[in-house]
Amino acid sequence: MLVTGIKSKPVYAPLQADTRGRYHLMLGMGVGAAPLLRVIFEMQSAAARVLKNTRVLYVPDGGSATPEIERFRAAAVGNAQTFPGTPALLEEFRSTLARSLMGTRLYVAGTESFIGLAMKIALEFNLNKDEIRAEECGTSARRVYCIHCRATTENVRTNIASCVGCGRWLLVRDHYSRRLAAYMGVMVDAEAPGELPPLKEMFL
Amino acid sequence: MNDAQTIAVEVIGIEQVTPQIKHFKLAAVAGGSLPVFSGGSHIIVVMQGADRIHKNPYSLLGSPQQLDTYEIGVRRMEESRGGSHFMHDRVVIGSRLEIAHPVNLFGLDKIARKHVLIAGGIGITPILAQLEDLHGGGVPYELHYSVRSAEHAAFLERLRRREGDRLHTYYDSEGQMIGFETLLATQPLGTHVYVCGPAGMINHVIATAKACGWPDSHIHWEQFSAPPVGDAFEVFLARSKISVQVPPDQSLLESIEAAGVEVPYLCRGGVCGFCHTRVLELDGDLIHNDHFLSEADKAKGNSIMPCVSRAHCKRLVLDL
Repeated sequence: MLVTGIKSKPVYAPLQADTRGRYHLMLGMGVGAAPLLRVIFEMQSAAARVLKNTRVLYVPDGGSATPEIERFRAAAVGNAQTFPGTPALLEEFRSTLARSLMGTRLYVAGTESFIGLAMKIALEFNLNKDEIRAEECGTSARRVYCIHCRATTENVRTNIASCVGCGRWLLVRDHYSRRLAAYMGVMVDAEAPGELPPLKEMFL
Repeated sequence: MNDAQTIAVEVIGIEQVTPQIKHFKLAAVAGGSLPVFSGGSHIIVVMQGADRIHKNPYSLLGSPQQLDTYEIGVRRMEESRGGSHFMHDRVVIGSRLEIAHPVNLFGLDKIARKHVLIAGGIGITPILAQLEDLHGGGVPYELHYSVRSAEHAAFLERLRRREGDRLHTYYDSEGQMIGFETLLATQPLGTHVYVCGPAGMINHVIATAKACGWPDSHIHWEQFSAPPVGDAFEVFLARSKISVQVPPDQSLLESIEAAGVEVPYLCRGGVCGFCHTRVLELDGDLIHNDHFLSEADKAKGNSIMPCVSRAHCKRLVLDL
């Protein structure tokens, strides 16, 4: 089967504080607030000084009763900012990295698509696995890159999906590109036009 | 690596560049181009001394774009085991030497956003070739070069001419010191630091960078150790079933080679890890002098880097 057992499928671990870093930059969306708050509490017990150099950029999903920004403020992170959506957050993230110094650690908590888009920018700044930690939470819907027309289809939850660019039915593989922050989609009925496998929800 | 892979070269230029450093230019005896290398590479120079063969690692300091000659800088070591004295006292223009193919254990990070190069004394040699790789590349870099005094600053004119205000020099004689804390605490994200020089300087740079939050993967260093002298001892090579005496002024690796047993190596200076050998028996202590094994591995005492390390014992048994 094309979709399983592929090494490039990213593996995530629960976020942990890395107090060897001097500056801590956190990106979160939706339920990603919880792991970030957990790291902040971990840091509070390790060294209060660290929190002064911590900055949180966050996209709320609007569902929570207590706005997460209040929870970040209550956790003594003075420098927490919310954004109306992922593109605005990523824009601020990029300009923050351009001003950041060596010694910075990045923590990302959110959907895989969110993590992937953040990683893509982090790579441009030569951050590597020693400097980045990411925890996947929320939907596991995929960004799918069409290898035929190069369009990217967002929020794919099914084993096959119709490409937003060319309309081909794509088989969603586990083959992941860090550069594109997307899974590879290949035309599923190229051999026998119109013969599609049953549509199944897989990435919820 | 073994001697079958060496290249015969002839010394075509020698210049005394500081009271202690000589600059040698080598060309292939067979003519033509020498093998391609990248900045930070070293070669092993094989010298046929009066009573023994010396094999020392020296960094290539010339341009990787000019392969008709290789350039090396050799510092005359006060406590030489013979290699640096041989190069300084016996080698003349026209002398022939054997060299091994270049190996790079100190290469530049290809996707770094900035490079900070730090050299102490003779440590400038690999960095000279790294600088050649950086010229015209568009990636910002700066060089911090610390020496005892101006007369000890090898290749200073070359550096001034080519690097301009990217070069920062520090003279011990005038009490000037590199401000490592400020330097390393203020570098933009994606910077890599490279340091080559005395052990104290390297250790200080590593410790300071880590204190500033740098991950290991952004810190690069190279220091070839000369094998220190020690007590004589006997080593038994279990697979070859032979006993070898290691005299005080010969390294374990050299003694094993002299007995006709080949051990793979790349640097002969305790850095690359190729000569890593299992210890099967020991009736004393290992004296680890390498930079390859972790402290935990050294403490285990079940392996050794024979290029620079030895033993304080009567009998050592190795898996060779």
